[in-house]
Amino acid sequence: MRKLIISLADWIDDRTGLIRVANRVLARPVPGGARWGHALGFALAAILFADLVTGLLLMTTYSPSSTMAWGSVYYITHGMDLGWFIRGLHRYACYGSVVLGGLFLARLVLAGAYRAPREVHWWLAVGVFLLILGLGVTGNILPWDQRGYWAAMVETTIAGGVPVVGPWIKKVVVGGSEFGNQTITRFYGLHVAVLPGLLVVIGWAYAVLFGKHGYDGSVEHEKTEPYWPRQAFYDLALAAGVLGLLSALTLVDHGYSLDAPADPSSDDYPARPEWYFLPLNLLLHVFEGREFIATLVIPGGVVTTLLLLPLLEKVLPKRLAHVASISFLVSVAGAATVLVGMGLQRDAQSLSFQKARAKADTAAARAVLLAGLEGIPPEGSSYVLGLDPLHRGGEVFAKKCLGCHPMVGLEKLEEPSAPTLTDYGSYAWIRGLLETPDSPLYFGKVPQCDGMTTWKETSKLGPKALDDVAAFVASFADVPPDTTPAQWLADPQVKDHPGRAPYQKECAQCHTMGDPSIREKMMQPAPDLFAWGSKRWTARMIKEPNSVNHYGYLEAEQPMPAFAGQLTDRDVDTLARYLKGDYVKPTDSSHREAKPGSETARK
Amino acid sequence: MPTRRDLFRLGAVALGNVFALALAVPGVKFLLDPLGKGSAVGAFRSLTRLGQLKVGEPLAFAILARRNDGWVNYPEEPVGSVWLVRQPDGSPDQVVAFSAECPHLSCPVNLAPDRKSFLCPCHGANFGFDGGKLNEVAARGMDALPVQLTPGDDPEVLVKFERFQPQSAEKKSLA
Repeated sequence: MRKLIISLADWIDDRTGLIRVANRVLARPVPGGARWGHALGFALAAILFADLVTGLLLMTTYSPSSTMAWGSVYYITHGMDLGWFIRGLHRYACYGSVVLGGLFLARLVLAGAYRAPREVHWWLAVGVFLLILGLGVTGNILPWDQRGYWAAMVETTIAGGVPVVGPWIKKVVVGGSEFGNQTITRFYGLHVAVLPGLLVVIGWAYAVLFGKHGYDGSVEHEKTEPYWPRQAFYDLALAAGVLGLLSALTLVDHGYSLDAPADPSSDDYPARPEWYFLPLNLLLHVFEGREFIATLVIPGGVVTTLLLLPLLEKVLPKRLAHVASISFLVSVAGAATVLVGMGLQRDAQSLSFQKARAKADTAAARAVLLAGLEGIPPEGSSYVLGLDPLHRGGEVFAKKCLGCHPMVGLEKLEEPSAPTLTDYGSYAWIRGLLETPDSPLYFGKVPQCDGMTTWKETSKLGPKALDDVAAFVASFADVPPDTTPAQWLADPQVKDHPGRAPYQKECAQCHTMGDPSIREKMMQPAPDLFAWGSKRWTARMIKEPNSVNHYGYLEAEQPMPAFAGQLTDRDVDTLARYLKGDYVKPTDSSHREAKPGSETARK
Repeated sequence: MPTRRDLFRLGAVALGNVFALALAVPGVKFLLDPLGKGSAVGAFRSLTRLGQLKVGEPLAFAILARRNDGWVNYPEEPVGSVWLVRQPDGSPDQVVAFSAECPHLSCPVNLAPDRKSFLCPCHGANFGFDGGKLNEVAARGMDALPVQLTPGDDPEVLVKFERFQPQSAEKKSLA
């Protein structure tokens, strides 16, 4: 066996020379002996390799389109074996490479390894660091969730603020004036091909120069030691240690959460960049009104200074130039740390941020729950929440209805001027109305609608009869959409309902049942109650409250505005379903456990 | 007695393997995820009434089903096709159903131009109306599907659709 391996190795070496090259590399002398500090570069390369592997794995499932990106990332995270781990590790390996990249640059500066004759060496290292940041920016948008979408919105807008060429750059990167499919495919192309390709080229050039200049070349060492085995051990130990730490963070965090699908219409999403851009985010506040200082002057200045560091000793004495370089590095790192702290504290103290973040988290958990139960609709991921009565219907209610109609669980905006709509259409709502129609919960705030109050004054119905009537009226909501009033009334369950007789005696004196044309014959005008509380009745009430079936008889005194033309049919539909409570109820189970999508797909 | 140098050497090899395995194990598990997911089997679905079918004239019907495609759930739509073959009076079954998916390489089997047999347009696999092979292109005959008839004079024909492993001589469900 051993003989076979040796002869195979000999054959490979004979034909390719690979083993000789490997031996030469392993035997390379390390000036001054093996050191942990030397392992930084190898660890950085190793973590970038981990990012490459996990990235390639994610590419086997990820779908770069504005309709499907979120769905495919949902599927990776919640529907595939260890998908959450691969995606989480990809993210943490990005964080790891940012940290290691920063430390690597710092070490080069401290060791004076940026100076002649290693200027190109240094520039390449700065290039690697900038590429890592670029990979972070382009990758962050790819899930097409709220977090990535709004972070990219801010970043591309900042790029658009660059004088002269900015608007062009922005339009080319975004693929047009608005975010969409072209944005995601362009960011995807940059993230998976262009930037990694550049990184490989620069990394290769760095390796070639490394062969020429060695680790830091700062001191001439008498004593040397071959790379194998001690430095190789240090290199691999640091790489494995960092990967272990990143894997542990991924496990503790259970991967990386997915925010709600991108919603261009959201008006209170608290966009924040990834942590490594938080200092710039806070500078925006520091330089309010002169934001170009934060977005262009400072980052541009820092990068330019970094690139010019090797040339400093051309104008300053060598020692002074080195001290200046180190001071620059320390002050940039210090300022960034302080700014991150200030930014985190600012958010921690901001009630409106906490509230907006909590709302965003609720939406994210809701989207993940629904995607697990019902899958992504073919129309696209944004419809997971866009068609959800609780999320979208509740949002529309808060914007359009809450000004007048209170709702339990929603913070009321002003003094209500219309009935409370909690459980509207249910037995409880009607029973309450029949008990105290003039309560502020019902028509107490709407003096025009005094019909029920007038009725109550003379009503002879006892509690039992009122229970029956309420049950009868609550059943109107279940009238099937394609049933005519005559068909429905002929149904034995309706004909023999205990509430029907008292209803006929007292309610039918004013309320018509599918034939509002006979309203003149009624005691006093009132809405038609056929299918009351059903989706179609409520939808029409929202669109045309002054229709002949509803409150048209009030004419000019009808206070509710018509929403036809102001809301899409889809929104009216989700709003009506919201009022009926016709939606998947939220559960206490955390979104991490809610992954039935995988269970139905799996045998 | 191992020297310090040996420890570094062994340690380096071990750590290199740990690093590689830490990526490879979850990576392979993720990559092989589809192996754990089977093909969906529908319920019995009504395709037509028995009276619509004539002996010697097989008819193709689309199978409608809600389809789960990775993360997307599609509403009911055609997901496959079956051939219904009416049997002569006196046969044990009144109607036999065959999946239109060719047992050779999964192309859709159609009628031959002379309408006397089934012919696959891709590689010429030829089957009789009993589903049996007429040439050696496919390894087995067409896949029969379970059929149920509702009671009554003109019963409805119900078929349960599923997919089978192509190429093998034996009919193995992909579910």
